[in-house]
Amino acid sequence: MSTIAETAPRDQTSRRMRVDGWRWGGRVFLVFMLLYTALPMIWMLLTSIKSGFAAMQFPPQWWPDQPTLASYQKLLDPQNSVGQDFLRFFWNSLFVSTATTVLSVIVAVPAAYAFSRFTFPGRNFLFFAVLLRNMFPAVIFLVPLFILMRAIGLVNTHGSLVLTYLTFGLPLAIWLLKGFYDNIPIQLEQAARIDGATRFQAFILIVMPLSAPGIIATAIYSFIGAWNEYIYAYTFLSKNEQLTLPVGIQRFFSENTTDFPGLMAASFMMSVPVVVLFLVLQRYFVRALTEGAVKH
Amino acid sequence: MAHVVLKDLVKTYGGFKAVNEVSLTVNDGEFVALVGPSGCGKTTTLNLVAGLTSVTSGDIFIGDRVVNDLDPKDRDIAMVFQNYALYPQKSVYMNLAFPLQMRKLPKNEIDKKVREAARVLDMTQLLERKPRELSGGQQQRVALGRALVRDPAVFLMDEPLSNLDAKLRVQMRSEIKRFHQDLKATIIYVTHDQLEAVTMADRMAVMNGGFLQQYDSPAQVFAHPVNMFVASFVGSPAMSLIPLEASTANGDTVLTSAEGWSLALSQPNARKVQGATTRKVVLGARHSTIKLHKSAVPGSIPAKAYTVEPTGDVTFVQAFLFGAIVNISVSPNIAVTPDEQIWLEFDQERMHLFDGETEMALRAN
Repeated sequence: MSTIAETAPRDQTSRRMRVDGWRWGGRVFLVFMLLYTALPMIWMLLTSIKSGFAAMQFPPQWWPDQPTLASYQKLLDPQNSVGQDFLRFFWNSLFVSTATTVLSVIVAVPAAYAFSRFTFPGRNFLFFAVLLRNMFPAVIFLVPLFILMRAIGLVNTHGSLVLTYLTFGLPLAIWLLKGFYDNIPIQLEQAARIDGATRFQAFILIVMPLSAPGIIATAIYSFIGAWNEYIYAYTFLSKNEQLTLPVGIQRFFSENTTDFPGLMAASFMMSVPVVVLFLVLQRYFVRALTEGAVKH
Repeated sequence: MAHVVLKDLVKTYGGFKAVNEVSLTVNDGEFVALVGPSGCGKTTTLNLVAGLTSVTSGDIFIGDRVVNDLDPKDRDIAMVFQNYALYPQKSVYMNLAFPLQMRKLPKNEIDKKVREAARVLDMTQLLERKPRELSGGQQQRVALGRALVRDPAVFLMDEPLSNLDAKLRVQMRSEIKRFHQDLKATIIYVTHDQLEAVTMADRMAVMNGGFLQQYDSPAQVFAHPVNMFVASFVGSPAMSLIPLEASTANGDTVLTSAEGWSLALSQPNARKVQGATTRKVVLGARHSTIKLHKSAVPGSIPAKAYTVEPTGDVTFVQAFLFGAIVNISVSPNIAVTPDEQIWLEFDQERMHLFDGETEMALRAN
């Protein structure tokens, strides 16, 4: 007994020391990651409110002497050519991304539900075939897809991008949603069908509301993927009035002399919709809606 | 309310027969329990009646209709699930109202029925809560409420009590029984717990391996099990089954064990054994029909106590009778200690004899 009593506290201290060491290591690492992520964005924001001259100064001005919103005004002014272009690109991106998102949800929801609930011949094969597309780097498909798009006459249309983004986004969307459907107890649908619902009504009235977080997560994922995509947009579109934001901004500012505050202001505004989308819908990511449905 | 008839019902999954030629009739207003171990086909049978699984062959009648090809919603049934399957996004009120909304009842009538069901189940104060805010027993009650709010032809219950703790289970057991008596409802109740079946059901259908083994009142099943499976499944502690060899000499029929002890049979029992086609006979005895002696008496067999479990009213003794394990119940004022030498006496009137090869009960001719 006495040996145990003597050694026990020492053991505990050394263990607590070790835990604390790890904990502090973890904190330092997290702070580093935070700075690594946040600093470029802060710098982007700061540069966007500098004058063109201030942006080029070295050593840099950490806080601009004369903060100005001139770049934003220029970009959002439909009267001048810069503003016209920017707003057009913005609209193009919004259209392509929204179309991609809507279509991918429309396709992924029934597909994921079918994979989750029904057994049919070739189910496993199809499910993994869906993933095949994501096993290769995107660039590999650039030339084949371009040739394909030219053959069906979609080059220089937004349709080519929507179709392409769908092939990228759908596999993951289907996987993600299937996970959600797998977690919704099948007894809920059975109960609904016995309570007088058709299979379709059970899906719409009971399953859909429960899978809303999954659908929203999927939608955000598709939207961001399409919104940020550069290489396909760069290849498939050549007419200035069709460009999406990533390509548009790049081409636009390399044509003029590099206007860093303008570029940063445009980049900032490009990230706004994504951030807003996230902030508004983030609670759906964490909401455990099925809690209480069944006893665990 | 309506009667339910299953006729030669078969369900196969690939090559596996989950339900095998099951035929039974549930009378109008009758409480029938489908009971058996896991994988015996009882839940599949219930799902066939509910229409959640398609029939491979055979017919299901609810009332006078064949319902084989009807959707669940058109069968006029209600079901209580093991995990309750309450709609998590809906309040208790909306859970109860859902089956009525689906049948397009007017709003005020829905409200009346929901409140009536809530009153019957004593949960009026819970109507605005979400399922996750309820205790297990309350969730169970809501599930029951959702079934009875619609006044269906048949109630199907799939192990509704197995997720409750022991005390609540006993309480809900009597509530469901009362509910059956008050409503005169036709109920098909699936359970793996033979005690639930015995205590609640008018008739119980014991299933094993997809086959219906015996379908009779609990008392009959208990007193006259048709085979060794039913005998050992129904009753707790389980019936002791002792494999023996039958022989007849000088007009007396004797059961002999491989270890050398023997048991002379009474005339009625001897006749049963003589009718058998094999000499291998299994002796079955329930715990209450075996007498425990502290010293040898004529006709008793020596055994050794293994475990002793006092429960208060009665003490259960498990004993080794050579190879076989035997359950005995004794009065608590008889003190038995583990490893003590004891003698067992079997009640000839109440013992069961089974054919050692077919496992079927031996009957007097």
